[in-house]
Amino acid sequence: MLYALSKSLGSEEGFADVKATLTSPLAKFVAWGLLSALLYHLVAGVRHMIMDMGIGETLEGGTLGSKIIIAVSAVLIVLAGVWIW
Amino acid sequence: MVTSVTNLSRSGLYDWMAQRVSAVVLAAYFIFLIGYLVANPGIGYDQWHGLFAHNGMRIFSLLALVALGAHAWVGMWTIATDYLTPMALGKSATAVRFLFQAVCGVAMFAYFVWGVQILWGI
Repeated sequence: MLYALSKSLGSEEGFADVKATLTSPLAKFVAWGLLSALLYHLVAGVRHMIMDMGIGETLEGGTLGSKIIIAVSAVLIVLAGVWIW
Repeated sequence: MVTSVTNLSRSGLYDWMAQRVSAVVLAAYFIFLIGYLVANPGIGYDQWHGLFAHNGMRIFSLLALVALGAHAWVGMWTIATDYLTPMALGKSATAVRFLFQAVCGVAMFAYFVWGVQILWGI
């Protein structure tokens, strides 16, 4: 990703190259995969910090929290897919 | 139990805090960047270059890169101490874990230096 950033900032042609590369179906799929993993990690991380504050630490709270973050993550991941394609 | 000498800092609490603080920084950076891209569909080179040429964005990006290093280090340490244990690897566990973390550390340093070069080279 750093390489793509470096190339895309380097010059107009570099930017065009990166853009062209990223529009291939495989690149989009990989981007979507990475983005999905990051979105889930973000949502689970936020929940983790909420739990650090003492909320949702009981067994019931935990299972409920898990269901919520899976639902929220699923929605975000679908949105990311729509946005990429 | 594993030797705790291979964690990021003096105390576990410091690592715990470093991971949370870096997580918040990374979340802010990620949400900003994705928000910016969603709000500016079909962004061109000039706007993209302009974004990263802006000093505020440069500093924010480097801050995120440092946060990523700290976050990843504590995260990888956590994973390493979960799996690279004496129970799994016998007495060589600490050596393997140290090597694993050294590799992670070198990679992080290389990425950081590369990031600085990119952002300051614009």
